[in-house]
Amino acid sequence: MLYQPDTYKIEQDLSRFGRTGNDTFIPGTTEEGLRQYRRLLRNNINNTMVQAFPISRQVLPDEEWNELINLFFADHDAKTTQIWKLPAEFVTFVKENDYATLWSKPWLNDLLYFEWIEIEVYTMPDIEAEPFTLQGEIREGTIVVNPEHRLVLLRYPVHLYAVEEAKNHPGDYFMMVYRHPETREVLFADLTALDTFTFENIAHEQLSLSDIAAGLKLQFALSDQHPLLTNMIAFVQKMMAQKLFLGYAVERKEQF
Amino acid sequence: MNLRENTSNIGMGFRRDIADAFLKTNEINPDFVEVAPENWINMGGYWGAQFKEVSRRFPVFLHGLSLSIGSPDELDFDFLRQVKNFIEEHDVRVYSEHLSFAKLDNAHLYDLLPIPFRDDSVKHVVDRINQVQDFLGMPIAIENVSYYTPVAAQMTESEFINQIVSQSGCSLLLDVNNVYVNAFNHHYDPYEFISGMPLDRVAYLHMAGHEQVSPTLIVDTHGEAIIDPVYDLFDFTVAKLKSVPVLLERDFNFPEIRMLNHEMNQLRSIVNKYWIKDVVPA
Repeated sequence: MLYQPDTYKIEQDLSRFGRTGNDTFIPGTTEEGLRQYRRLLRNNINNTMVQAFPISRQVLPDEEWNELINLFFADHDAKTTQIWKLPAEFVTFVKENDYATLWSKPWLNDLLYFEWIEIEVYTMPDIEAEPFTLQGEIREGTIVVNPEHRLVLLRYPVHLYAVEEAKNHPGDYFMMVYRHPETREVLFADLTALDTFTFENIAHEQLSLSDIAAGLKLQFALSDQHPLLTNMIAFVQKMMAQKLFLGYAVERKEQF
Repeated sequence: MNLRENTSNIGMGFRRDIADAFLKTNEINPDFVEVAPENWINMGGYWGAQFKEVSRRFPVFLHGLSLSIGSPDELDFDFLRQVKNFIEEHDVRVYSEHLSFAKLDNAHLYDLLPIPFRDDSVKHVVDRINQVQDFLGMPIAIENVSYYTPVAAQMTESEFINQIVSQSGCSLLLDVNNVYVNAFNHHYDPYEFISGMPLDRVAYLHMAGHEQVSPTLIVDTHGEAIIDPVYDLFDFTVAKLKSVPVLLERDFNFPEIRMLNHEMNQLRSIVNKYWIKDVVPA
């Protein structure tokens, strides 16, 4: 760095004032100009968050929302070069500082994450899917997953109820958020625990439905795997129609 | 895609709010488009596809926001690597940045703060521009920014810009509206300022609207139509330059498309007064 210490400090003071609005003395500056920078910087952060979290903005009282924005801008060192990704840092900031407990809003982390994940999936870089065909045998075939997805676990069902109601229904809510490969719209699907287990075994282990059902039968000493398999088939058929699953692998991978 | 040679090139910022007018209805058909790389790097899905179509159909200029050339922080070479890849992927001809800082103590600020006009700032910024140009393997253009307060200046803005351009070998992205805004805010003559710029180093021009927020302050918003005194300053500037591309910036508060086209036509009619004679007959 070729700045002299006083020039560095001037920039530091200007940055600090922009982030906090706290009184400061910076030589040669005008009060009106400094206030303008504070306004512009804070507006940028606020507008970005309002755009990313319209529901959270609506359900939080003004004083809490403004406090979150002020604290986030003042205390959090923003890392991303891309401001449209800053909401992800906001979600982490709110979670790490546990405003959900502090403000008795147990649904807050889930709501912010739910709102962010839609943006993340909508904008995520394109991922090429494995080669697939629409012809296949659903029980034995290797099913190809749409790679543009996020599997989400929520503690409060903010996607099903208004937040005040959602807080009365804590639990494990699995949700798939994915991008339609043709329309590129973001789609949401509620998953049961069995759907989630099935999905993860398809996506990460490349197991067939028969293999997954057989594994469950063995693990839980079930007498009949047929009801499980029937449910799995229904799930895969439904989600294949809705493009979470794209088809069947062109070449079946060997299972060992 | 290349710019047209020997004629005026009038560009427009590609923004999502008016994307259909570029890509679907063809109501906006500029000679080039300008985007902030930060808004498009690693963008997939619908908008990723839209941008690929933009870069297929129009020459693309990049106008960055996050490089923070005036920051005391180390340059972010991971980010620059992404910019470099983006430049190569989209056959970008010009990468420009702002003569300001937008990051400090490892925290991005997402706006353009003024660098103190000082000798050590010149050395610091020149060194960083050279690092960027070496890394990218191409010259960059640096834009004169609008600023709302002077900050511990030891020289004039004109001296600051001139020293940086001459010592770094970078080009100048001359924002005519910013000159107007700064001249109003800081009480200098914009015509004199333009005349004192290194005009032989101008890579291209920016034009935009602004908003007067108080009797003593104008803010460079890119959200209003260009006003006549800025057109007059633009006319004066163009008369002093060889033919360079001109960009109309509009970031929000979009009017009807015909009004944007009217502004582009206004710009074209002014540059054609001076640069049309540069056209070589076929």
